[in-house]
Amino acid sequence: MTEIETRLEAPSVKIGDVSLEHVAERPRPSGSPELREPIFQVRDVTVSYSGNPALSDVSLDIYRNCVTAFIGPSGCGKSTFIRCFNHMNALIPGATIDGTIMYHDQDLYGPEVDAVEVRKRIGMVFQKPNPFPKTIYDNIAFGPRVLGLNDNLSERVERALQQAALWDEVKDRLKASALSLSGGQQQRLCIARCLAVEPDVILMDEPASALDPIATTRIEDLMHELKQEYTIVVVTHNMQQAARVADMTAFFSVNQGAEGQRTGILVEYDATQKIFTQPADKRTEDYVTGRFG
Amino acid sequence: MRLVLQEELDTLQATLHEEGELVLRALRGAINALEQRDPELADEVIAFDDEVDRQYLAIQAGVESLLARQTPVAADLRLVLALLHNNLHLERMADYCVTIAKLTKLVYDVSPDPRLMAGFEEMGSRAEEMIRVSLDSFADRDVAVATSLVDLDELIDRANRRIVQHVLALGSNLALREWGLRMIIVSRCLERIGDHAVDIGEQTAYLVTGEFREFTDASHRAS
Repeated sequence: MTEIETRLEAPSVKIGDVSLEHVAERPRPSGSPELREPIFQVRDVTVSYSGNPALSDVSLDIYRNCVTAFIGPSGCGKSTFIRCFNHMNALIPGATIDGTIMYHDQDLYGPEVDAVEVRKRIGMVFQKPNPFPKTIYDNIAFGPRVLGLNDNLSERVERALQQAALWDEVKDRLKASALSLSGGQQQRLCIARCLAVEPDVILMDEPASALDPIATTRIEDLMHELKQEYTIVVVTHNMQQAARVADMTAFFSVNQGAEGQRTGILVEYDATQKIFTQPADKRTEDYVTGRFG
Repeated sequence: MRLVLQEELDTLQATLHEEGELVLRALRGAINALEQRDPELADEVIAFDDEVDRQYLAIQAGVESLLARQTPVAADLRLVLALLHNNLHLERMADYCVTIAKLTKLVYDVSPDPRLMAGFEEMGSRAEEMIRVSLDSFADRDVAVATSLVDLDELIDRANRRIVQHVLALGSNLALREWGLRMIIVSRCLERIGDHAVDIGEQTAYLVTGEFREFTDASHRAS
């Protein structure tokens, strides 16, 4: 069973008292990122695999209706970190998380939190497009059907495809196999599939690294448009992609211990403009100018 | 499509246009203060420069961010570089307006020579026209219109030379001669505003053709 099937099959409970309607009614933020509402508040998070810390002592806030990018060299823990936001590390045997992640002021790892509900609210798009071997329509309708959202299903499918900027390309062949689409179209289909269950946050782990430059540009434009309604967190090894699309950027690096063990750390987190024009930390400057990593 | 890049380029161009409108207001205020011998209006012109500076700094910061984040190339890169130049030209024009206003405050109690005042009105109007033409040429990417600034500049240069002749003919009255010397600087400010408008026209040609050249220069006059 794939991860997406796992997250969509189980019925759900709410996280605390935060409902989608409640979130949707909140006013849209404006102005600089500093003035925006934190949606995640991460404090002193350490992720370990079999007792070995892969990422150590990370604290930061993720802001609503912003694109936040995680950048850094291989092994810096950025993918490990993004997987914390929807309990994906729980699927890895031996993985443990210390510290707290508050989501809309609710402890994301509190004892009553249902990981499946978390993954419904906090969707994820992966590096390699992974459509189901079904029709285009059924790929999008799958999640809503599992969740019992059968009213106006066709409208829901169309809206998700519109939001993912794919509708015009597929509206005449909704019954065709999703596997007949190009790589870029498949990735937008996966984004549409994520949107169909009306998430609050979209996590993207290297969403364009398997795509050509034109398809990459379309994904980046899509992120820019989707942030009006959603909060987006993206891991990218493409530094310029972070510069182009992100409002906030976190730079992670690797600390090497005395015995050679490597642990990811958060070096600097700030407005993307600041990171790419006046980074505060020399290590960030060396990375963004291409002198390291 | 590069939505973010296009949005940021559009915003920068709109901000430059607004900065140009502010410079036109500053210039008209400076000319009116001079003609009407109005020190309060002169003070307003001086204070108004902060508005122009705000736009100037916004464009400067916008260009810095765009270069760092969006890596523009080809025509987009030329547009960003031209915006950077034009931003400076407009800011300098506004500084000349401030200089005119400060000189006006120094001499507002002297009865002006009507021929000079007529000359300043002509130069002010020509400078306003040149600013409009330069900004239009840039917005429309119109090299022919940009090139027409050379002829307009010749007219404002001639008016400047006439002002100098008038000042030399003012006679031996000490107060009037001091006034006249300050008025030569006013004339020079208006003439320089015209030069900056020509420079904006040159940026239009660079943006369109990809090749930068001065329309005229001191050592190689246009044939």
